Order: sequence, then C-alpha cells, then structure tokens
Amino acid sequence: MGAIIEVKNLVKVFEGSRQEKVRAVDDVTFSVEEGEFFGFLGPNGAGKSTTIKIITTLLAKTGGKVTVAGYDVEKDGAEIRHIIGYAGQSVGVDGDLTGRENLTLMGHLYHLSKDIIDERVKELLKILQLEEAADRRSATYSGGMRRRLDLGTGLMNEPRILFLDEPTTGLDPQTRNAVWEYLRRLHKEQGMTIFLTTQYMEEADQLCQRLAIIDKGKIVADGSPSKLKADIGADVVTIKLPQDAQFAAVQERALGLVRKLPGVVRAAPFDEGLSVHAPDGGKTLLDIVRLLDAEKITVKQIAVAQPSLDEVFLLHTGRQMRIEEVKPAARIGGRRR
Amino acid sequence: MAKRSRPVKPKVNIKGDGHAGSSMLSEIWWVAWRNLKKLTRNPFLLFFSLMMPLIWLVLFSQTFSAVFSKSASASGAPPLPYDYVAVMLPGIAVMTSIQSSAQSGIGMVNDIDSGFMDKFFVAPIRRSSVLVGKLLADGLRIMGQVAIVLGIAALLTVVAGWRIPFATGLPGALLIIFMSGAFGVAFAGLSNTVALRTKNTESTMLVSLTLTFPLLFLSTAMLPKALLPQWVQDFSSVNPVSYLADASRSIILTGYDWGAIGKAFLTIFILGVVLNAAAAISFRSLGK
Repeated sequence: MGAIIEVKNLVKVFEGSRQEKVRAVDDVTFSVEEGEFFGFLGPNGAGKSTTIKIITTLLAKTGGKVTVAGYDVEKDGAEIRHIIGYAGQSVGVDGDLTGRENLTLMGHLYHLSKDIIDERVKELLKILQLEEAADRRSATYSGGMRRRLDLGTGLMNEPRILFLDEPTTGLDPQTRNAVWEYLRRLHKEQGMTIFLTTQYMEEADQLCQRLAIIDKGKIVADGSPSKLKADIGADVVTIKLPQDAQFAAVQERALGLVRKLPGVVRAAPFDEGLSVHAPDGGKTLLDIVRLLDAEKITVKQIAVAQPSLDEVFLLHTGRQMRIEEVKPAARIGGRRR
Repeated sequence: MAKRSRPVKPKVNIKGDGHAGSSMLSEIWWVAWRNLKKLTRNPFLLFFSLMMPLIWLVLFSQTFSAVFSKSASASGAPPLPYDYVAVMLPGIAVMTSIQSSAQSGIGMVNDIDSGFMDKFFVAPIRRSSVLVGKLLADGLRIMGQVAIVLGIAALLTVVAGWRIPFATGLPGALLIIFMSGAFGVAFAGLSNTVALRTKNTESTMLVSLTLTFPLLFLSTAMLPKALLPQWVQDFSSVNPVSYLADASRSIILTGYDWGAIGKAFLTIFILGVVLNAAAAISFRSLGK
C-alpha cells in the first residue's frame, strides 16, 4: 500500500476581475493511502472543490505538486483519468438522456466494449436502485436519484479512486443514508480508495477513516475523526449569549471570567458566545452558571457535550461551521420515489 | 461488481493505444450521439427554431413578390420564369444556417453550467473530440433544418404552384443542404467563442441575433446584387453570406456555377478555420 494521492504545497490562485486575486487553496499538503476512505471537511468556499478538481485534472494548479498513482496531474492527465471516477457537486447528468443512456455514454467515453458496457450498466442500475427509472429521462428523476445516477457515471470504469464532491448535499436524510451505505460497501467490498468532500460533520464522522479539516484554503487539522475529537481531551461546554448590542462586550467579559475558573482547559469565543473545554464538563457547567449569574450576565443557552467534530472545527478556526444548506436539489417536474 | 477484487486495473491500454485513430472517431461519434439524442428529446425546440425561416418563406416572400416583379419588368427585361421566392430561398437557407448555429454556443454554456462538461473532461478522451463531436452534431442538425425548409419550398412548388425552378433537382438541393451545414459549422465557431468567453447564454444569444439580420440584408441573400444600392453592393462583396447565397442561387435558378460554388466553399473554409480556431483556443483553456 502506500500513498496513492500525494499533494505537496498545492496553491491555487484565481485571478478575479479588477486584479483581485483569490487564494482558494493556500499551501496544502496531504496524502491519501491506497484503499483509504479519506475526507475533506470544511465550509463552503474553503477550497474543497478546487482541490478535488485539481487532483482530478479538471483544473490547473498555480503551484505545488500533485500525483495520483504516481502520475503527475499536469503531465499525465490521460493516465489519471483512466483510473479515477468523479461525481461533481453539480450533478453532471444529462437530463435529456435516460439513466441508461447516461451510463452507456460514459462507458463509451471510456472506450469499453459494448458487452462490458451493457453488463456494467445493468449492474449499476440494480445496485443504485434505478432499474425501474432506467428508461426515463433523468430530468424526471428526484434529486436523490440524480445523485445516484451521477455516482453511477463515475463508476462505469471501475475506478481505483473515486472522487466525490459533496455527494449528499441537498439530499433528504433517508437518501443520504442510502448513499452512505453504498459508499461503505464500495470501500469495504472492493477496497476502492474514496476521496470525499463534505460540509457535514456527521458525514465525515460516519464515513471517513481519516479526514482533513480545511478552512480558507488551508488544512487546519487532520487525523481520524476519533483522534481529532480525542485531541480536545475534555468535555465541551457551549455557552450562547443573547445577540444584542452589548454582545461583543459581554462576550469579552464572560471570556475573561470563565478562563479564570479552575478546571477550564481552554475557552474560546465564537460567533454566538463561548466554547469552553473542561475535563469535568458537568461540574464546570454549574460553576459557569453560578459565576455568570453572580456577575449578572444573561445566558441564552448553555450545554455540555462530548466533543464532536463541530468542536474540533471550532477549536481550529475559532468559528462554528455553518452549513449553507442548498435547497433540496432542483426537482423540476420531478417525482419522489 | 461485488465479485471483483481490489484494486481494479484499468481495462484499456492506456499508453500507446494502437487504435488511436479509431478511438478518436469513436469519441467524436459518441459526443455527437449525445448531442443528437438531446435534439430528439426536444422536438419543440427543433420546430420553433424553424419558425422564423418558415415565416419568411411563406409570408415575406409573398409580400415582396409583387415589388420584385414590378422592378424586374420596369427594367424592360422579359418577365422572369420564376417567382421572387426562388430568388430568396437561398437567403432563407443561409438564415436557417446562421440562426441554428447560434444554438451551438447556448448548448456549450448549458453543459458548463450543469457540470456535464466536467463529465466529458474527466473521461479519458481528447478535449478536441468534445468540440468536434459537438460541431458534427450541429452540422447534422443544421442540414436537417435546411432540408426541411427546402422540402417545404419544393412541396409548395408542386402543390401551390410556386415557380421555383430547382434547376439541378435533388443533387443540387443536397449540395445546398451540405453547404449550409458546413457554413453553419463554420459560423458556430463565433457562437462558441462568445459562449466560452462570456459563459452566459444571454450574451451568446444576443451576439448571434444581432449579427444575423445585418449579415443577411447587407448581402446578396435577399436580392441579386444588381438590385442592391451601391453601398450595400460594396459591403456585400466582403460579406461571407453573399458567397453562400450566390452559389445556392445558381444551383436553384440556372445550374451549377462552379466558380460561385468554389468561392462559397473557400469562404466556408476560411471562416470556419478562423472562428473555430478562436473557439478551440477558448475551449482548451477551460479550467486552465
């Protein structure tokens, strides 16, 4: 085994209009092992899609070095494209073609023989539960069906590495679970290397063996979800303060007070209040309530929890990750199963 | 799928493919197949894109017919053995071709927006195949549309007594269809260049629409050169549309004028190379 994807000091600068340059990916280094389920977790605009597009040869990089299975993305694009599958964020299926036609077309673009294509299409339609809808125009599919079809087009060539850019954004919970289940099977039964980007903490937690948290073009933390959470080494007390005119002043005063409490490992402000790490969360919560009450600081909400990836993100970026929920994928004239 | 063990090797010989030529043709064909399939799924689009040329064919030709025969007889020449619509038909064929070629860029923008273009780009095919396949489909579509226009003209000649000579019969008509298709493909380069530069359907549509009518009226597409005002005559001789219209007109009215036909193909060739090279450069730089 060994690294199948190696990314060293990757930089991507977009030349915006009026000379403004956007550093979408800023000196990113990581690698993915063969057979690994790897994830990129980060908010919108963090640089996830840009990175995945560079690795899949869809986008040229500004600097750094990227190799896939030993092939250089710049020089050996064709070789890389043979061994990867990709399902993008903007479901790239042709709505005018049926599900079967979409898959068949991809098979031909991979220069597969007709027999192999027919066999693969049949298999994929079955696995992706699209058999009934196979001969309907994919524009009539529900968002979840389109996602699955898109995934299918990325699997026609039986790729060694599958790249998925936010594969469940905009899906309802059941469909999301079904996609997760299928991805787990692909990984487990075929040992496929999977590289996924997501803005869902839960998705990263559930699926990925290892993940990198990316924010503003930089990797701020990486490791297995359990290691990242364990690194916090404490319970997390989240205090939300009223969002009024005094918010900033109150937040600063509360921060100063809480930091002095015994048993508090660290305390950090975030956009809705404070996040406090303490080994004994229950006791610290009571201490905080008493202290803030004595100081006449109103608390909107206070809770103690085991650390989740939310806290990991907060710890490394000083912000809570917000998911800009995309409306359930366009389902124009679509039906739900 | 489940029966396969890991890791899966690519099925194709990825280096030094011995069938480079045939694989390229296959790529082009499947890209074209996809674009043609889309057409069959949108028959209304096909129909409505023919509305304008057909309105010109059946309405405008009748309106202008009287004016044309008056001006023709005023010059003292014997009455013409054909109707004005016969003079105008080549112009309508070119119009169909230009208008239809404008759709090429629209499809391009849609594919980029929808993410479908990424599917093409992530597949191990040549980028040029994506563009050439698209142009092939465009060419076939345009030929189909021009064939329908000529077919309706022929039908009205038989049924409604229109006087269109069709001097060279079916082979001549096929030549016009082919020329119009080729011209459309050449002209699609403009639409695609604008599309790739702006990535915006409105701009793409606008540029093509804005150009269509000046190009048609400042050419010999609607009237023979002798009947045009001097300044329009001057402009028409540098207007590619004129060369196409002159060639088609000879084919319909009198017989093959190989000089004119040669000029038409030369025009198509030059225009095609220039415009499509511009489009190809923009296309290559997608994602770069």
